[in-house]
Amino acid sequence: MSKKIGIVRFLGTNCDRDIEQAVTEMGRKVDYLWFRDTFNISEYDALVLPGGFSYGDYLRTGALSARAPVMASVREAAEKGMPILGICNGFQILCESGLLPGVLVRNQGLKFKDEWVQISIQTSATPWTSQYKVQEKIKVPIAHGEGCFYADRETVMRIREQDQVWCTYDVNPNGSIYDIAGILNEKKNVAGLMPHPERAFYNWMGSSDGRRFFQWLS
Amino acid sequence: MKLGIKILPRPEVLDSQGRTVLNSLKESGFKLNECKVGKYVVIETEHSNLEAAKKEIQRMADYVLYNPLIETYEVEQL
Amino acid sequence: MAQLIEKFKKYRLNQKEYEKICELLGREPHGVEWGLFSALWSEHCSYKSSKIHLKKFYNKNSRVIVSEGENSGVIDLGQGERISFKMESHNHPSFIEPYQGAATGVGGILRDIFTMGARPIMLSNYLCFGDLDAPRMKSLVQGVVAGISGYGNCVGVPNVTGFTDFHSSYNKNILVNAFALGVLYPGEELALSKAQGTGNDVVYVGAKTGRDGIHGASMASESFDDKSASQKPTVQIGDPFFEKCLIESCLEVIRSGKVVAIQDMGAAGLISSSFEMASKGAVGLELHLDQVPLRDGSLTPEDILLSESQERMLLVCEPKNFEYIQGVFNKWGLEATRIGKVLDQKNMRLMWHGELLSDIDPDLLVENAPRYDRPYKKYSPQNRNQIQLEIFDVKETLEDIMTCDFGSSKKWIYDQYDQRVGSQTARDCSQSIGVVRLEKSKRALGLALGCRPYLMRLDARIGALDAIYHPSLQLASKGFKALAVTDCLNFGNPENEKIMTEFVTSVESISEACEKLDAPVISGNVSFYNETLSQNITSTPATGVVGLRESIENIPLENFCKERSSVYIVYQHEIETGGALEQLYKNKISATAGDLTHTDQFIETIREVSRFALSTRVVGKFGLLYAATLMSSDTLELHMTEKVDFLNTNQDLFTERLYEVLFEVERSQGFENELQKRNIKFQKLGSVQKISHGTKLLKQKYLNSFEEKV
Repeated sequence: MSKKIGIVRFLGTNCDRDIEQAVTEMGRKVDYLWFRDTFNISEYDALVLPGGFSYGDYLRTGALSARAPVMASVREAAEKGMPILGICNGFQILCESGLLPGVLVRNQGLKFKDEWVQISIQTSATPWTSQYKVQEKIKVPIAHGEGCFYADRETVMRIREQDQVWCTYDVNPNGSIYDIAGILNEKKNVAGLMPHPERAFYNWMGSSDGRRFFQWLS
Repeated sequence: MKLGIKILPRPEVLDSQGRTVLNSLKESGFKLNECKVGKYVVIETEHSNLEAAKKEIQRMADYVLYNPLIETYEVEQL
Repeated sequence: MAQLIEKFKKYRLNQKEYEKICELLGREPHGVEWGLFSALWSEHCSYKSSKIHLKKFYNKNSRVIVSEGENSGVIDLGQGERISFKMESHNHPSFIEPYQGAATGVGGILRDIFTMGARPIMLSNYLCFGDLDAPRMKSLVQGVVAGISGYGNCVGVPNVTGFTDFHSSYNKNILVNAFALGVLYPGEELALSKAQGTGNDVVYVGAKTGRDGIHGASMASESFDDKSASQKPTVQIGDPFFEKCLIESCLEVIRSGKVVAIQDMGAAGLISSSFEMASKGAVGLELHLDQVPLRDGSLTPEDILLSESQERMLLVCEPKNFEYIQGVFNKWGLEATRIGKVLDQKNMRLMWHGELLSDIDPDLLVENAPRYDRPYKKYSPQNRNQIQLEIFDVKETLEDIMTCDFGSSKKWIYDQYDQRVGSQTARDCSQSIGVVRLEKSKRALGLALGCRPYLMRLDARIGALDAIYHPSLQLASKGFKALAVTDCLNFGNPENEKIMTEFVTSVESISEACEKLDAPVISGNVSFYNETLSQNITSTPATGVVGLRESIENIPLENFCKERSSVYIVYQHEIETGGALEQLYKNKISATAGDLTHTDQFIETIREVSRFALSTRVVGKFGLLYAATLMSSDTLELHMTEKVDFLNTNQDLFTERLYEVLFEVERSQGFENELQKRNIKFQKLGSVQKISHGTKLLKQKYLNSFEEKV
């Protein structure tokens, strides 16, 4: 493994440098992938769609970004099985683009919420959780206004049966159905979650529990 | 009786949401001159008289549904 | 004459100022010139009532790079790192439309920072509301918090600390002061606003100009009705998404070295930005107002000059670089438009479809603005005597203060702010100071806000000294050295002698404390006329004190963390006051005589001994018991077992003594030796033990009570 890690950048992405910090700390090089351009997927080992407020969350969160040209390449990479991680707004974009099932709607409390939460890792079937034990509890922060995961009954049943729920909240902060904090696609290579593992990376941040999400890159 | 309340940004006030959607659509190759993004509220009232129902809706609008500093609204029968 | 009086009213100028204008011009002003003088000679732009006093500020030392004449101050942190920070008021707009008022306040202060070429990495805000039960107050609180949250979270700058007060003097005039700080890393060049280079392009970037905020101030005094609404000045709408793109594009063009000068269009929009850029550069500008991109085609030249539409910048570049600059802005979805040229003679030529509207020396407006030495008296300290607190039931009193508006946790507020975006936050709003890491040198930057209005109501001198000392002490207790200060001076009517006296005293006291700590005032803002129906607000000189610590590791915590460790109180008592507690019960504040003359050495010692601490907290409002209770963790609390000289009665547990700091220490011997060596007083209070059920419940109430009320 020596290829670069691609960080997709939309207008309004604001956790891009955070991801660069985490990935470079693991000894890997990054490329920023601009929303207007497609890219050659063979140059990358993995892609990250960082958090932020792409297009100001206008219309529907993630909706305008999901239709940007760069998503054609992201889709191609997803089909080829490349590991793709969407965090917060990145998760919302992956849902809007159909690469992940369901949708993220307004928090039940109707307010933006920044707080530390405890989540449980439900599967190590993705590289991002390969360094955790199943049912391991970790402390990471959330910061979102629209992080309440919603899908129709059938979809929810299916993703739960197929081991696509990869992390859950121990205390539900936003009304997410079945306490879902993050989900995977069927092939388990596309992953999205609302909490920010990159903000629990060093001890001085208050927790370094999120660091192991990126450990597989080193 | 069911009524709809269409709430839009005042014409002279910046509609940041509309501007963003407009730019994004244009960039995707669509042709358009203007785009406004507002809210639509549907309310069913006990009233059977249209005028009375409209009055009631207006009271609701003034009470909470819209902010006169930045928005305008129109009521229509459904 | 009647016509003239009408004009005075419209343009908020008086007879004397009018005479001065005629003298400067050698004729009467005509056309748009009225608007020019009105805007640039307003209190807001010209600081005409405060300038002669602001000059007294201690504002220079070897670290200071910029402390006047620019959008924001800049200091050097060494190792190639520089920071720029400032605090600014948005009181009036927030009272009219709390969401947009607060949001555009955040947007404006951010532009002041990135205009300097600094990337914003910290936000904070200082808020004073009226009584929660006062008319509109709950919705003002909700709106302001939502506005700050909506804007700050979207632009992606973490909000790391804040201050919130509630007092009836703000019932009709709330305070919304926004703070922002940005950093320049090694090799990144500072940008300035001095226009230069004859023939260079003047470029307008960002949002189109609309009717936003034209003659904004008149909005307050008139009521809105449906018919006249379309002619009324309109609320300024902020678009944080647009601002985020503006930050990235401006930093990109500044980093390219192709920008000669750049300035944000803030108060009084295009007029003030263009005139100031010209005046600072001692050049002239020719501006074609018809080239300004408009959102509303019916705007007149005067409207265009006065509009306060948000998210706009003005920059100067060499003509050969325009295309590159335009390319960068287009990349970020924004537009850049040439609207004029730099002239060799020092004249502002304002053009409208080829017609010359005005040709005027920019210095006439910028440098020759009136200066008023408003009457004030020598400040005499308020009567001070014995404290009259009577506490019958300690438990009940503690519960009262832990759950009152001013004493309860502001979790409901700060949970709505993104405190960690950027992934550099080490201490967030739940702590007494905010801390972010400097990415390159890995050092820690700390921020604490100052000014406790109840002390200002007690005594303006003590309150203003405390506005510097208290935050500096909070920083010191975590190992940070205060480096520099910004202030936001919120006062009532300066034409009132009592208010002006408090203003002058505040400026002098702040300057005195800053000089003692060698922490210069590098930026700031004055907000006068915070009065409604001749009721003035509490004089509130809010401050932001920024400190540096060499390492981000092992910063003393906020809560007890080790069972059986020792807890000490380290103190230097100069004044005792019933302070906040008296405010809670009867609104009359007493205090003993005294001044804060030795506080600077005390602060330095606290910083030195902070290295022994597991956790620390400055004892502030409500005294010792409140501070100790706040330090309890989910599992641990303080057991007071030792006899302490100055803790004899119930009252003593709630009296505030300036100043005291609580320390949780493991290596007691070294800590005690160090304090003895420095001749600083301390006493052991007890040790850290398992938390009782009662304290646990109390902390739960502390966290939840504000949410229940608002």
